[in-house]
Amino acid sequence: MMRASSIVCAIGLAAVSLGTAVAEPSAAQKGVLDGYVTTARQEAGFSGPSAERGRKFFFAEHAGGKADSPACTSCHGKDLTKPGETRAGKAIEPMAASVTATRYTDPANVEKWFRRNCRDVLGRECTAAEKADALAFLLGL
Amino acid sequence: MTSATFFRPRGDDRRVASRPAARSASRPAAPQPAPEIAVWDRAVRAFHWLLVATVGVALVTGLWAPPSWHDVHLWSGIAAAVLVGCRLVWGLLGPTYARFSSFRPSVSRALAHLDAIRRNREPRHIGHNPLGALMIVALIGAVTVLTVTGLLVLGGVSKEGPLAAFTSFRTGATALTAHAYVAYALAGLVILHVLGALHDGPVMLRAMITGTKPAGTDAITAPEKPARPHPAVRTIAVAVAVAVVGTAVLSAKPVPGIPTAPLDPLYAKECGACHTPHHPSVAPARTWAAIVAGLDDHFGDDASLSAADTRRIADWLAANSAEKFDTAAANLMRTPSDTDPLRITATPGWRRLHADVPDAVFARRTVGGRLACSACHADADSGRFAARQISIPNPSPETKRP
Repeated sequence: MMRASSIVCAIGLAAVSLGTAVAEPSAAQKGVLDGYVTTARQEAGFSGPSAERGRKFFFAEHAGGKADSPACTSCHGKDLTKPGETRAGKAIEPMAASVTATRYTDPANVEKWFRRNCRDVLGRECTAAEKADALAFLLGL
Repeated sequence: MTSATFFRPRGDDRRVASRPAARSASRPAAPQPAPEIAVWDRAVRAFHWLLVATVGVALVTGLWAPPSWHDVHLWSGIAAAVLVGCRLVWGLLGPTYARFSSFRPSVSRALAHLDAIRRNREPRHIGHNPLGALMIVALIGAVTVLTVTGLLVLGGVSKEGPLAAFTSFRTGATALTAHAYVAYALAGLVILHVLGALHDGPVMLRAMITGTKPAGTDAITAPEKPARPHPAVRTIAVAVAVAVVGTAVLSAKPVPGIPTAPLDPLYAKECGACHTPHHPSVAPARTWAAIVAGLDDHFGDDASLSAADTRRIADWLAANSAEKFDTAAANLMRTPSDTDPLRITATPGWRRLHADVPDAVFARRTVGGRLACSACHADADSGRFAARQISIPNPSPETKRP
């Protein structure tokens, strides 16, 4: 009896946490992701976006970038539901789409920041596959 | 109290006043207190002590207070100027010893007085002695010069007040130098004045409180003149009205050389994404041109924009650079650093203005570094950087915890 109620509780909690954490991306956000997915499919070896690959990419320390910014987390922080901070000291809105709903809706803006930040962190532009994975990860937060 | 009774010196109707005991001659055994002579009327005494207070506040706030005390300095200075204005009228229409005619300044008489002091044969003046007369003229002159130079600074440097429409930053900056020198001179005069009062002893201080001095037979008096309070009050009222209306009219005139337009929205959005969007008047056009041309490596970060956005921002910066304005910020930031010309915080003007701000203040989480102008300057976005708008945030509770 005890056990059954615990399981019910656990399932309930999981449902609640899933409900808040995994917000359904808006049409605009899906459109931005789909754009990268379409381009990535023309690159070799891409079968579809992976949030897990995106998470690893986001948290990885990359070589080739600038000393101050070896990882995305250098500025965005490790808790993506909290604000990050630019090198100049200004707050960056949280990356999690569920926290900052206005993010990832304008393809030009998303591309602008991928272009700048990939150069700073990796020393090169990101591939469409990397962008699709990262976006899939951030949209799922 | 009517103005007539307020301005009448004690014992005005009897030049030589005395305490009641002195007049009851029925008991000659009682020692006769020395008769007192009315010297400083209530208006002169009120003026004196109010001037002490206002000049004291203006000197302290001008020489030592942080810039956020600007308005206290400004208003104490205005109050001192109004007091001196009233005193000038009273010097023409007041009672005997308030009148300038009773203490005409003369260097030769002052030197003679000094010589008499040296020979220990100092004559006793009921009003100002010749040295005191020079001092009064010097003090009034100093406050007058400080008023004029102060208004020039307010107009030329702060771009505020009645002279703002007519005064360049260069004139204001020159006036500021003069204002500072005259302020130090005034502080020196105040010290000399106090030393002179101490030399004359407690009678002098008492007279500036009670208004009377012991008459004595050897004292040098001045020919009696009646006070004319009603013309004096009328003159002061007209002068104040003219000054208030004139200041309001002149202050309302459009001021050339100050930024009035808000920041370009694209500039504010793109540059404000990473740091305070600096007002374009804080750097010269050639600095902005170089910054925009090098956005792909902007102080180590890639801040590149589309070609169209880059051009729009470049044009707007060029049209609003430091050369286009005459504010203090534009003037002080117009000359970039020789060694690091693109870095606004390396500009000699910036470094001089922030020399007193410790590194720890910039490091505060509530400030957010040297680029966070608006953390301390509430009006940074407008390019005005007024002293009264400066407020350094306290350390946040997190950083204060050990």
